[in-house]
Amino acid sequence: METREFGDIELRRVREHVWEIPQEGEMNAPARVLASEALLDHIGDDKTLEQLRNATHLPGIANHAICMPDGHQGYGFPVGGVGATDTTDGCISPGAVGYDINCGVRMMTTNLTYEDLRGHEEELVDALFEAVPSGLGGGGVVKGDAETIEDILARGMRWAVDAGYATDDDLAHCEDEGFRDDARPEFVSQKAKDRGRNQIGSLGSGNHFLEVQRVTDIYRDDVAESFGLEADQIVVLIHCGSRGLGHQTCTDYLRRIEKEHKDLLDDLPDKELAAAPAGSELAEEYYGAMCAAINFAWVNRQLIMHRTREVFADVFDRDWRDMEMRLLYDVAHNIAKKEVHEVGVDPEGRPVRDGDAVEREERELYVHRKGATRAFPAGRPELPPAYADVGQPVIIPGSMGAGSYVLRGGDQSLDLTFGSTAHGAGRLMSRTKAKQEYWGETVQDELREQEKIYVKAQSGATVAEEAPGVYKDVDEVVRVSDELGIGDKVARTFPVCNIKG
Amino acid sequence: MGFTLRDHTADVAVEADGESLGGVFAAVADGLTAAMCDDPAETGDRFSFSVRAEGREALLFDYLDQLIYERDVRGVLPAAHEATVRRAGDEWVVEASARGVPFADVDARDVKAVTYSEMRLAETDAGWEAYVVFDV
Repeated sequence: METREFGDIELRRVREHVWEIPQEGEMNAPARVLASEALLDHIGDDKTLEQLRNATHLPGIANHAICMPDGHQGYGFPVGGVGATDTTDGCISPGAVGYDINCGVRMMTTNLTYEDLRGHEEELVDALFEAVPSGLGGGGVVKGDAETIEDILARGMRWAVDAGYATDDDLAHCEDEGFRDDARPEFVSQKAKDRGRNQIGSLGSGNHFLEVQRVTDIYRDDVAESFGLEADQIVVLIHCGSRGLGHQTCTDYLRRIEKEHKDLLDDLPDKELAAAPAGSELAEEYYGAMCAAINFAWVNRQLIMHRTREVFADVFDRDWRDMEMRLLYDVAHNIAKKEVHEVGVDPEGRPVRDGDAVEREERELYVHRKGATRAFPAGRPELPPAYADVGQPVIIPGSMGAGSYVLRGGDQSLDLTFGSTAHGAGRLMSRTKAKQEYWGETVQDELREQEKIYVKAQSGATVAEEAPGVYKDVDEVVRVSDELGIGDKVARTFPVCNIKG
Repeated sequence: MGFTLRDHTADVAVEADGESLGGVFAAVADGLTAAMCDDPAETGDRFSFSVRAEGREALLFDYLDQLIYERDVRGVLPAAHEATVRRAGDEWVVEASARGVPFADVDARDVKAVTYSEMRLAETDAGWEAYVVFDV
């Protein structure tokens, strides 16, 4: 049997691109890494594997804890991690969702071609930078009073429709139609609401961005047609999350778990894996608060998309509807959701590893995706009617110098990953090292002169920290996803204009 | 006595030391400020606050969380931190202050949250040392 060793962790090759850390000691399940040899070299280079192994200690974890091809070290649970826990006798873990609840991406298509946009790049990037709040203290598209915040948390994108920032067609092309019915705004703290009210409709900073892109490659014509994508078309990608409101919500519940469920926390190898037992009051309250923060993030991205439509209308002197600026899809990559999946169970009906299972049955699970994207194939009831027969669009943002990808949920995703795939290129180099290696202005100049990519940022340091060279090869990440059948390649895009915080 | 920003694949880590618990708390906070801004302006007014928690590590976590909260609701970059830590019965208390640099005066970027990941707070021969990872 082929094995690879990284420190005290031995991985056994199960098959092409599938590696397993066997269950031992206090682990409640084995762990799996989905990666090529080249990606595994990067994944084994930091604490990703240790964090993945730690994640298997979560109570009620089903099948395996899984690391996607773009996985890297996070805090507690690795970025690129998927862990599904039983909603009856398992747990829900804020640490396995992450601080930026419903960090995610959306893509908007247009009927413009790259040729239509040529000559307008500078004007467009300046206008977008001016119109879309970004960075620290940049404010939001909407300044929310207490009532507005409550309404957004309770109703998500339905609030945006009523307030004139979204259309019914936008709702129809958003995960869960932009609204989590389980949202409970009363379980979001006042501190979190205070932080959110100045940030409704803002990018933030770090790796969040808005990018105007051109479609360069189509890999599956029929699926691309269903998604409304064609070569040379201009699209817009928006990547951000729930801002301070979501960050505070995660923080609040980590601390409550520390105080109220210390016994469970003491059994876990990392405090950041903090989990509330399924069925506990705290688990229910966190789930309600998290769903409210999910609604907030969808509104956040919707308001940015609304501003983007207005900017395009100004720059191209046309109504945005005439440019057919339609939401292709909006999907989260930091989230936990109750979903039904098939798992192996023991004679008492508890989820166990495949080898110990006496039968398989459908169970409701909390599927935690932290830096992983839901990737459901055709036929899942959660899919919107527009994609029910073709599979869910999955948007994989690359760095500002490389391409991004549109995939569709693959047939193997339910068996291998609880219906998930990667969420991006995955970081390779630390932010501190990136600032030593790159200078923001130089990166901007080179991208403009060599690649015709126009970048504008609040902070030059952010450009250095997000330089294309700090990321893994997104092509390799997507190749592995495609070959495993968890997310199939549909189209590739290349940046034209990029704004960031 | 002070802080150093340490490598972390996706986020940023601060390693700090101080002669007292208050000193190391303030040094970690100075590291948080440095993670957001390379060169904070000398402008802004000082503000004060206090935080209570059940233990020393929890207090450090809550202190840094409160600074991030104050940043967002006051619309300032907290800088030039001062802190005093004492025990009060079953709890620990930090009395802290910072200068709130208006966002308009700085080129700053977001740090989302403090984490417990790899957190270390330990007494040494020279005082106290700490290691904290922040989510960026």
